[in-house]
Amino acid sequence: MKEFITIDLERCTGCRNCELACSTVHTESFNPKRSRIQILKEEVRNLVVPMVCLQCETPLCQEACPTGAIVENEHGILYVKQETCIGCMNCVTACVYGGIAIDPKTKKAIKCDLCNGDPACVKACDYSAISVAATKPEGLHQRRMAVSSAFDTLGMNIEEGQE
Amino acid sequence: MTFPYKGYAGYYLDVDLTKGVVHKKEMEKEWARLYLGGTGVSSRILWDRTTVKTDPLSPDNVLIVGTGPLTGVMFSPSGRMMFAGRGPLTGVWAESHVGGFMGPEIKYAGFDFIIFNGRSPKPVYLFLRDGKAELLDASHLWGQETNITTMMIREDHKDPSIETAVIGPAGENQVLFGGIIVDFYRAAGRAGLGTVLGSKNVKGIAASGSLGLEAYDMEKYLEANAREMERLDDPIWKDSLASLRKYGTTDLVAVINEIGRLPTKNHWTGFYEDADDIGPEIIAEKYRIAQEACYGCEVGCKYIIRVKGGKYPTEPIGGPEYETIMAFGSNCLNNDIESIFHLGKRCDLLGLDTISTGKTIGFAMELYEKGILTKKDTDGLELTWGNSEVQAELVEKIAKREGFGKILANGVRKAAEQIGGDAWKYAIHVKGLEASGQDPRAHQSIGLTYATNVRGADHLRSISCIEELGYPKIAADRFGVEKAQAILEIMSPKHKGEVVWDVENLYALVDSAVICKYSTMWPPVFYFDTFVNVIPALTGMVEWGDEKYVRTAAERISHLRRAFNHRIGITRKDETLPPRLLSEPMPTGPAKGGLPDLDIMLDEYYDFRGCDRETGYPKEMKLKELKLDFVIDELKPKGMIR
Repeated sequence: MKEFITIDLERCTGCRNCELACSTVHTESFNPKRSRIQILKEEVRNLVVPMVCLQCETPLCQEACPTGAIVENEHGILYVKQETCIGCMNCVTACVYGGIAIDPKTKKAIKCDLCNGDPACVKACDYSAISVAATKPEGLHQRRMAVSSAFDTLGMNIEEGQE
Repeated sequence: MTFPYKGYAGYYLDVDLTKGVVHKKEMEKEWARLYLGGTGVSSRILWDRTTVKTDPLSPDNVLIVGTGPLTGVMFSPSGRMMFAGRGPLTGVWAESHVGGFMGPEIKYAGFDFIIFNGRSPKPVYLFLRDGKAELLDASHLWGQETNITTMMIREDHKDPSIETAVIGPAGENQVLFGGIIVDFYRAAGRAGLGTVLGSKNVKGIAASGSLGLEAYDMEKYLEANAREMERLDDPIWKDSLASLRKYGTTDLVAVINEIGRLPTKNHWTGFYEDADDIGPEIIAEKYRIAQEACYGCEVGCKYIIRVKGGKYPTEPIGGPEYETIMAFGSNCLNNDIESIFHLGKRCDLLGLDTISTGKTIGFAMELYEKGILTKKDTDGLELTWGNSEVQAELVEKIAKREGFGKILANGVRKAAEQIGGDAWKYAIHVKGLEASGQDPRAHQSIGLTYATNVRGADHLRSISCIEELGYPKIAADRFGVEKAQAILEIMSPKHKGEVVWDVENLYALVDSAVICKYSTMWPPVFYFDTFVNVIPALTGMVEWGDEKYVRTAAERISHLRRAFNHRIGITRKDETLPPRLLSEPMPTGPAKGGLPDLDIMLDEYYDFRGCDRETGYPKEMKLKELKLDFVIDELKPKGMIR
C-alpha cells in the first residue's frame, strides 16, 4: 500500500519545525531551504500552505525527467537519484503541486521520500498536524479535509466528490 | 576560515552607513567563547564601541542586530533575535528581543551579527542573501507603515520568502520609544532601538538564506536537544504550557489580576474590576482564529485574531500580548477589548512600543484628572479614563510627533520635565523606561528586578516566576530546601536578592543563546544545565560543558552590562523605584497594603553580585575572576571600582 503525507491546517501553527527536521535528516544541517517539505505563508491573510510531494499515482515529475532519475526505492516510493539527476528542472515545471524542488546547494531535484517509512517531519511536529495516510479513499479524504481551511480563507468552495 | 565553532553562521557585518560600505568579517572566537552570542556579545561590542559621550541618536551610537548559537537550530523556543545599543529613551543600556522567523533567516543568510555604525546620507535598508550583504535604497519605503514596508521589500525582490525587521513612521520621526517590527506583528518594542535605526536612516533589514547551519556533532546535539525537549513534557508544567497554547500571554490578564499585580489606572492600583472584559476567555471565544508559533517552537504562544464589524474591524492580525492589553486596557481603565486590538495593531504598523505608548497615555490621563494638564494642553482632547477614541488619536499623534503627541513622544520622564510641577510624581519609570505590566507592591522580587534591570523598569532581565507560579520543587532544587519556603512567599523580601541575582544570570544566557523566556521564565523549565547539555555538542566549545564555566559566563555578561551603565553614571541611587511603587501602599485588591522592601533586597543582591552596597559599583576581585580586566582598567581611574 502506498502512503503519503497529509497536513492538517487546523493544527499547523506554521512553526516550520518540519522543515528543520527534514533538512537535518537529508542534509545533516539546519537548512529549511533544502527541506523536502516547505511551509509557505501569507501573513496578511493568515494563510499557511504546506508544500510536499503528494506521491501521485501518475507522477508527472517522473514522466518529465529526461534522465530517468526519479525512481522507486525499495518501499515503492519515488525518490530522486542524485547521481542521475542533471538539475534540468523539467520535473519542477511538470509538477503542478510544487512537490519537487531544486536543492539550492546541489542544484539537483529533491522530493519527499517519506524517510523510508518513518518521516522526520511527522516526529518533529509538536502540534500533531502531520501524519502519514494510505492511498485509499479514507486517506485521500483526510488529505482533502486537512487543507479545507485554506480554501475557506481563499473563498473557494470544494464540492464533495469521489476521491 | 578560522572561526572554529559550529551552530554559528561564522560571520558578522560591520556596516559603515556614513560611507555606505558593508564589511564582512569573520566572527571573533573570543566573542563566542566568553559571551556566547546575543546579549553577551553585544555587551562587549557596545563597551568597545561607545563612550560616556555617545549621544544615542547621533551617528556615534552603534545599533547591533544579534542572534545566538541556538537561533534556528531546532532548539524549541529559539526563533529569536535581538537588538542592542545605547537607548534614546533612557540614555543607558538598551536591548530588545523578538521572536518570529527573522533571526534564523539572518543566520541562514550567513551572518550572526550586524553592527550599524554612522549615519546614512539617505534612507537605506540592508539586504542579506547567502553570504552577501548590500545597502539598498529605501526612499520608496520611508514613511510607510511596517506591513506595507515588508510587502514592498518582498515585491522588490520578487521573493515572498524574505523575512524582515523594519521600523515604522515612529522610528523615523524620532519618537523615543520607536520599536522594530519583525514578520508583521512581532515587536522588538522596548527602549527605542527602532528610533536608533531611524536616526541612522536605516528602514530595516531583509534576509533570505539557503546556507544552513551545521552542528559540531549533529547526532549528539539532536539527542541532547531531544532530552531538553522532554523536560517540557514534565507534568508539573502542564497547566502553564496548556494556558500559553490556548490563550497565549492573554491568560496573564486573569492570572495577574487575581494576585493584585495588574497595573491599573497608571499604576495607582494592581486590581482591575473589569479585567474579565479584556481577559483571556472573551478573546479566545470571540476573536481568536488560529494558533501561531515562532520558528520551531513547541510552546506556540502566538495567536491570530479577526474582528468582524464594530468600530474597529480587522482582517487577521497577530493578537495583542498581555503587556499591550495591560498598557492600553487596565492601565488606562479601558475595558473595550476591540479598541485594544486596534491600538495594538496601530502601534505595530506605526512601529511603536505598546508598553511605553500605553503607559505614557495613562500618565497623561492621570495628569488630566489631577488638573495638571487641561484641554488647552492636549489639543482639545479630553483625556478622561477609558476614553479609547482619545487613546487612538494620541497613538497617531505620538507617531507623527504632532501637537500634544510631541511631548508624549518623549516618554514619561522627559514629558514630566517638560510639563513641570508635580507631573514627575505620576511618571512611572526606572532610568526613564516606562514600567511594564507588573507591580512590586504585589510581588516583592519584581521591585528588585525593576530597580536593577540594566534597561530600566521592566521584568525581562530578571523576573522570578517561581514564587508567582508556586513551584516548591524548583525553589528547593535551585536554592536549597531550607530557603524554599521563604522564597515561595511572594510578599517576603527574604532571599529575593539571591533569587533575582540567579535569574538575572540565567536570563543573561537565555538572551545570549538566543532563546525565549517562555520555558525559561514562565514556566521555569530550562536552567543552567540546559546550556551545559546542548552548547558543546552544537558548537564544539568544550568548556561550555562545565556548569561552573557556564555560570561564570552568565555573571560576566551581567557585570559587563552593569559596567556599561556605571560608565555612564548609574549608581545605587538610580537603581530604585518610582515614588508611587516605593512608598504608596497598594490601595485596593488582593495585594492591598503591599509595599516592596527594596533596600533589604538590594543589599543582598549587591552581595551576591559582587558589588559594593553603597554605590552598586563592582568589586575588583569579582571583575578579575570574570576576566573583565579591561573594565577595571577603564573604571578604576574613575573611582567606579571597589
